[in-house]
Amino acid sequence: MTPAERAQRTLRRTAPWIAVSLLLMAAVYVRALAFTPPEAAQGLAQKIFYVHVPSAWVAFLAFGIVGSVSLAYLVRKDPRLDLLAAAAAEVGMVFTTVVLVTGPIWGKPVWGTWWTWDARLTLTLFLWFVVLAYLVLRGAVQEPERRARYAAVLGILGSLLVPFIYVSVYLFRTVHPMPVVLRAGGPTLPGSMRVTLFFSLAVFTLFFAVLLRYRFALARLAEARARAAAERADA
Amino acid sequence: MRDLVRVAWAIAAKDVLLEFRSRTAFASALVFTALVLAILNFARDPTAVSAHSLAPGALWITFTFAGMLGLNRAFGLERENRALDGLLLSPASRTAVYVGKVAANLVFVGAVEAVALPLFALFFNVPVVPVLGPLVLVIALATLGFVAVGTLMSSMAVNTRLAELMLPVLLLPFLVPPVTAAVQLTAHLFAGRPFSAAFGWLRLLLGYDVIFVAACILLFESTIEE
Amino acid sequence: MPENGGFMVAAYVVAAVIYLSYSLVLLRKGRAAR
Repeated sequence: MTPAERAQRTLRRTAPWIAVSLLLMAAVYVRALAFTPPEAAQGLAQKIFYVHVPSAWVAFLAFGIVGSVSLAYLVRKDPRLDLLAAAAAEVGMVFTTVVLVTGPIWGKPVWGTWWTWDARLTLTLFLWFVVLAYLVLRGAVQEPERRARYAAVLGILGSLLVPFIYVSVYLFRTVHPMPVVLRAGGPTLPGSMRVTLFFSLAVFTLFFAVLLRYRFALARLAEARARAAAERADA
Repeated sequence: MRDLVRVAWAIAAKDVLLEFRSRTAFASALVFTALVLAILNFARDPTAVSAHSLAPGALWITFTFAGMLGLNRAFGLERENRALDGLLLSPASRTAVYVGKVAANLVFVGAVEAVALPLFALFFNVPVVPVLGPLVLVIALATLGFVAVGTLMSSMAVNTRLAELMLPVLLLPFLVPPVTAAVQLTAHLFAGRPFSAAFGWLRLLLGYDVIFVAACILLFESTIEE
Repeated sequence: MPENGGFMVAAYVVAAVIYLSYSLVLLRKGRAAR
């Protein structure tokens, strides 16, 4: 089986899973909205938590994949690793955007302000900028090998940046106390809420894995086609 | 090791000499600095915002922008004359090339900062001299981190379409820890607070420099064609 | 309990739109490529 055919088979097989994940996402929605008690102090808006937090978890997972796969690429020089990193970045971008959009929507009614420079939101914001830079860089370099190298360098540096941004925000907040990020129900979640959260985490992670697989296959297919076209042109 | 130093020195010296001869980039960076300082000063309502509270941020905005101009110039020069190819064909180690470039950029940015600082003290009327020692240390550390990462980023940016636009896009997220730390430390110093109170920020700055200089030295190789 | 159900709805809808749109874009690209 040629690489192109393998990629096409993956696409065919993964597409139904995207549908399944979306259905499971709908189930999460129903569970969170209708079958989970609201939190007394924050009101209904607190339920945004069940979308916001799993999205954030996935965003950081995706970014971790970009960083580690980028390192692997520089070591092994396997172009498929580069394609995987790029796929993870693009899919991760989608989840990161959701975090950045739902965060302020949650923040406004609960903290009275659209934005606070708290650790998670600030970190996510800069993650978003780094992934954006990553995708822009990829778009700005034509030659595939150089594009892969540059992207890998940025991916690795970006991963190194994360702990420093976290420490910066932490230090900043100890000097300038800000509204404490209200958790769903204090330090420990009551049972029903915990179940919903874990259910949501599982579904979002599955959704990410499925999208990643699909996007990776798309990239492999495009690359195989481009290579075939180039070979035909040479012949 | 001695070879590395020798080559890096040669590269740095060449760059600095080139820049010194033309002086255009230096002059524009200075004019830009003065402009930014003046605008920031006029942009505030003097009764509501004291020069003191604005000062640290103003200083570092100025340094950052001037630094970007310097970084762009560095590799732009190489690209114009395809001088980089010549450098790479030479037996010079990649690390030496990187260290040399960083050194040259440090000289350039440092020179701009050296002129900008008195201008800043003048426009914002802040007591720079009493804290000059620690202030210079903070400026040196932050500039090192900024230039180290910036030199690496510009070595990539220069080979992309829209190179001048690419550099800020790549670099700015990476400036957040060192510049935030520098601003906080600067504010501490201007307020006459003891350095020890801001020790966390100093550690952050040092940690950033150590990790990122090392990472950039290791990764520079990958930004160069084989 | 504060009355902020509107925010909840907004957030859930926006998230769903983003995830659904991206999924559809990917699936369309996949179909076109085959």
